[in-house]
Amino acid sequence: MSKSYLKISLNEILFYFTRAASGVDVPIGLSEDFARSNIWISENGFDPSLVSLQALDNLDSKTSSLSIKFEKANEDPHLFCPENKLLSALKASVSCVDWFEVKGSSSQLKISNVDSPFLVISALGANKLIGLKVLWIDQDKNNYQVNFIDSEEWEIVSSSTNPIELSSNADIFISPIESDHIIHKDNSIKKFNITEKKLEILNNGVEVKENWQEIYDYFSRCLVKSSAESRASGAGAGLVDSD
Amino acid sequence: MTTETLTIDNESDFMRSPEKVMRLDRMGSSFPTRLSFMRTLIRRMARENWKFERTRREVDKDGYGLSIYAVTTPHRTYSLVGFTQKIPDEMRTDRVIAEVWDATFNLFDGVPTQDDIDYLANNTPKQEGGRYRPSELALARANKSLRVFKNAVDSLSKGQQPDFDLLKSVGYLMRTSAVYGSGKFGCADRAKIADREECKAPFQMELLTVYLIRWFTIDSVEELAKERGGKKAVKLNKTSRQFIGVGNATGLGMAPFLLKHPALIHNWVVAKETALARVRSIETPLEGTLEAFHKSLLQVSQHIDEWNVDDALQSDRILCLTDEIQALRIWCEDELNISRPYPWNGIYHFVEDNFSLECQEMIVSLIIEPHGLLVDDLAETMSTNMIPKFDADMSLAQLKEVVEDSYQWATNIDFSLKESQHHFWYYSEDKLEPRFGSKGVDDGVEQEMPLAIGRDVSELNNLLSVTSNDISISEFVMMYPEFRHIIRRIQNTFLRPYSEVQDNLLSESMRPIDLLRFKLAFFGASKFDPKSDLWTRVSMYQGAPMPDQLSQPNYDSWSFPIAERPNHILK
Repeated sequence: MSKSYLKISLNEILFYFTRAASGVDVPIGLSEDFARSNIWISENGFDPSLVSLQALDNLDSKTSSLSIKFEKANEDPHLFCPENKLLSALKASVSCVDWFEVKGSSSQLKISNVDSPFLVISALGANKLIGLKVLWIDQDKNNYQVNFIDSEEWEIVSSSTNPIELSSNADIFISPIESDHIIHKDNSIKKFNITEKKLEILNNGVEVKENWQEIYDYFSRCLVKSSAESRASGAGAGLVDSD
Repeated sequence: MTTETLTIDNESDFMRSPEKVMRLDRMGSSFPTRLSFMRTLIRRMARENWKFERTRREVDKDGYGLSIYAVTTPHRTYSLVGFTQKIPDEMRTDRVIAEVWDATFNLFDGVPTQDDIDYLANNTPKQEGGRYRPSELALARANKSLRVFKNAVDSLSKGQQPDFDLLKSVGYLMRTSAVYGSGKFGCADRAKIADREECKAPFQMELLTVYLIRWFTIDSVEELAKERGGKKAVKLNKTSRQFIGVGNATGLGMAPFLLKHPALIHNWVVAKETALARVRSIETPLEGTLEAFHKSLLQVSQHIDEWNVDDALQSDRILCLTDEIQALRIWCEDELNISRPYPWNGIYHFVEDNFSLECQEMIVSLIIEPHGLLVDDLAETMSTNMIPKFDADMSLAQLKEVVEDSYQWATNIDFSLKESQHHFWYYSEDKLEPRFGSKGVDDGVEQEMPLAIGRDVSELNNLLSVTSNDISISEFVMMYPEFRHIIRRIQNTFLRPYSEVQDNLLSESMRPIDLLRFKLAFFGASKFDPKSDLWTRVSMYQGAPMPDQLSQPNYDSWSFPIAERPNHILK
């Protein structure tokens, strides 16, 4: 399973990504949400290992943190990392989903200095939060807007040709979609139909590329080294079964 | 009775409580019922007149090579693609860490092309070491019971039937040691097939795979006998064919599944308990049902006689069960005991008050059995596609109340005691084999699987007791993210009261085998044969109709199978 280029199932995404996050000491509840987000990423045709590796690397190298604070500055709700680090998208995404679950999609939220904005997008998508738009300009000055239109469709609006899944380190603004939102002429729109894409994925599998090996390496940290004793007794059955 | 099912108004009065049902000792005494998933599948096969055909058999004189068996349902075809090979005897093991098997299989979604078969030939024999595609619905392997397999081929090739005592003592020709589905190793995700009628009940494709493997094993010995004996060779007689099941060796892998799917487990248990409650709430027995029950007590006595195991504890339980069934038969012969209103409830209470858990659970199965029209609709309620959500809108006060009301079983355990946290579960790097470790003895506590439900609830409860109700749950998990998973679990299980095993899964006295038996009984397995506290062998489909017997009127009468029908229950 440690092959670097292969097709995997959604159930494998759940299994491996939950444990990959645990491999960088993310609490299990957040790891479960992270894996669900990666299923949404996969169902929409993206390579989840490409999206998520950066966020796991940041946690592993302590470039990012799971510490988070909430404040309401000038009545604008705001999530940020109180340490001098990037805010890990693994934490930002669940806190953001919790906010909108409670406040509804007519509210707004700013999240500062998030390492992998697309993971926040995937969490909103996985939790079917619709009627929201998400805006950010990343460290490379690429601007993105994601609109969750309804339970079937969402879209990316951007002037950038850089893949959205690689966009990093940005302040994110989430607010309701205006009924008459105007798309700037320099921006292109990419639309997604969740049901159609998911069906395609269920019939073909999820393609993961070169980053998969590193996700698997994080996953492997959850495995316990086998010893002669554990091999002989840890699973009960004998080593030879002839009858 | 003219309607398809009967509606019972007061069934909830007769429901057993979760506190009674979801205990390890009772779960470890489970038996299959007519709602078990193999029974559901066989009924569908018969009702929809599924067609079975061996479409390819390309093997050498020793039976090694390729076989394909196809089953056609009203809407589509599924194919069992099997590969057989010679393996060294010393490499034959039931463990996940095995590297070779006598036979390996995939259930293919449709009819495979030659390209598909070539692909599988390069992967299926490697099992976990291969990669599969969404066209593969299940992956499985089986090893021969060498004694029985050899005896069957030798005997049949000489024109004789196999040694029936030997066959009876083992019960199968081959034993599966894993049947994977639901996206494992790249196979199709459940979501791909979940909307198909024949896949809606749990584990139907995995159990179809096992049913076809059973047919494959019987077909294999008959073909090998013909190869060796030529015209002299005979086929297995009808009694032997129907009696032969497929063995299965089940280890720890099944236990985490149970704990990770609480909503599903709730649906399984609530269906079975509702069935029992419906039967217990019948005031006047339906025509023929008491007679059927009396006959089943005779049959089950023979079934118990034929249930021989090496495990000392289970042997004692079987001995006790023998006496109890005999005592129940005598009690039931007294008209005064049976002719009262609510006779099924009377039988249940008599057994509950006087006999072992093993007997109680067997009687639950037996009294449900004659009531197909009353309970079979419940089989359709046993799946779920629910994804547990975190409810950030719940107040902390509500959460505290839920923990107090629904999780007393957990908060009452003293986890400060060493024996309360004796065990832990982990994945070994050795083929990801699930293992059960002891703290202070085995490595890997830091990589413990998150299955310590009771302990996590207890720790949450301790923290909640010193936390003000003024903060919201979202604020609470922002501060204490390590409790997010257990809060989500509580939020999704408290309205599903049969979803949690209400015992300490880490305690020194915990026997994983209780969890395995509980799940295997829901599958429909019989003849539980514990080999340690950590794994068991069972028989699957023993007594079930073969494909050519599915149109017979008694196709659904195979609970508690027996090797030969004695004269007194032939009628």
